[in-house]
Amino acid sequence: MSTLVDDDLWSAVGDPTRRRMIDLLLADGDGTATSLSERLPVTRQAVAKHLAVLDRVGLVHASTAGRERRYRVDDEQLARAVRQLNAVGSAWDSRMDRIKRIAESIQRTNDENTRRTDEKNE
Amino acid sequence: MDTEYGAIEREIRIEAAPEVVFEVVSSPEHLKAWWPDEAEYAPIPGESGRIGFHQDGGRVAWEQFTVVDAEPPRMFAFRWTHAEGEDAAPGNSFLVTFELEPEGAGTVLRMTETGFRERGWSEAVVAQNYAEHVAGWDFFLSRLPAYAAKAAQ
Repeated sequence: MSTLVDDDLWSAVGDPTRRRMIDLLLADGDGTATSLSERLPVTRQAVAKHLAVLDRVGLVHASTAGRERRYRVDDEQLARAVRQLNAVGSAWDSRMDRIKRIAESIQRTNDENTRRTDEKNE
Repeated sequence: MDTEYGAIEREIRIEAAPEVVFEVVSSPEHLKAWWPDEAEYAPIPGESGRIGFHQDGGRVAWEQFTVVDAEPPRMFAFRWTHAEGEDAAPGNSFLVTFELEPEGAGTVLRMTETGFRERGWSEAVVAQNYAEHVAGWDFFLSRLPAYAAKAAQ
């Protein structure tokens, strides 16, 4: 793993309101800024802004139906976001394992050296 | 899922003294053995440097690296990924903290990485009911296989 995750995608799903919106869209199949704002403690304007952020990173797609834009979750991009979140966690699992192996190997060498010195001094 | 709280937390028991583990988590030479390919910094609080990751074609992707705290052999903390020329601070970087606790002849090493939520966080209202969010995130994760299967059809 080189550096990190896609910053934009990360900050898009890093927001609890936006995650709640994704949950609602997944549960309902689709939704509009109005329908989502009725079920969230935020204004329709705030929901519209959040939808724009999600749209920009490809997590949702809009279609125009009547007077309002109707949004659906992009399954593929959602799966990608989750993979990235998990990747950061598993990267730390392997780093911690490497830290453990290196430290234990140094400790064994130190102990061995101490033992030899003690034997010499006896 | 721990990333819900904007933090990744890991804990591991190591059969080595805290002094040894501290060296491994803090010195640039050792860091290269467990994480980046290149590491150029002094492990002293306030010191800045960079760590590099080899890319295809011989290029090196550099990330800024600033030591925040170093209390041998108990704690080592750094920030990384802030833009070059910027001072590392909450909101522009990730904070990694290692805490070392002696346990018998060994060490319990705890790692926390935070800053995932703070980065790019502007319009959002942070203070909300955590329980609700955890439920939401879990709900969303638990539904993924079904949606992935549906998407594959």
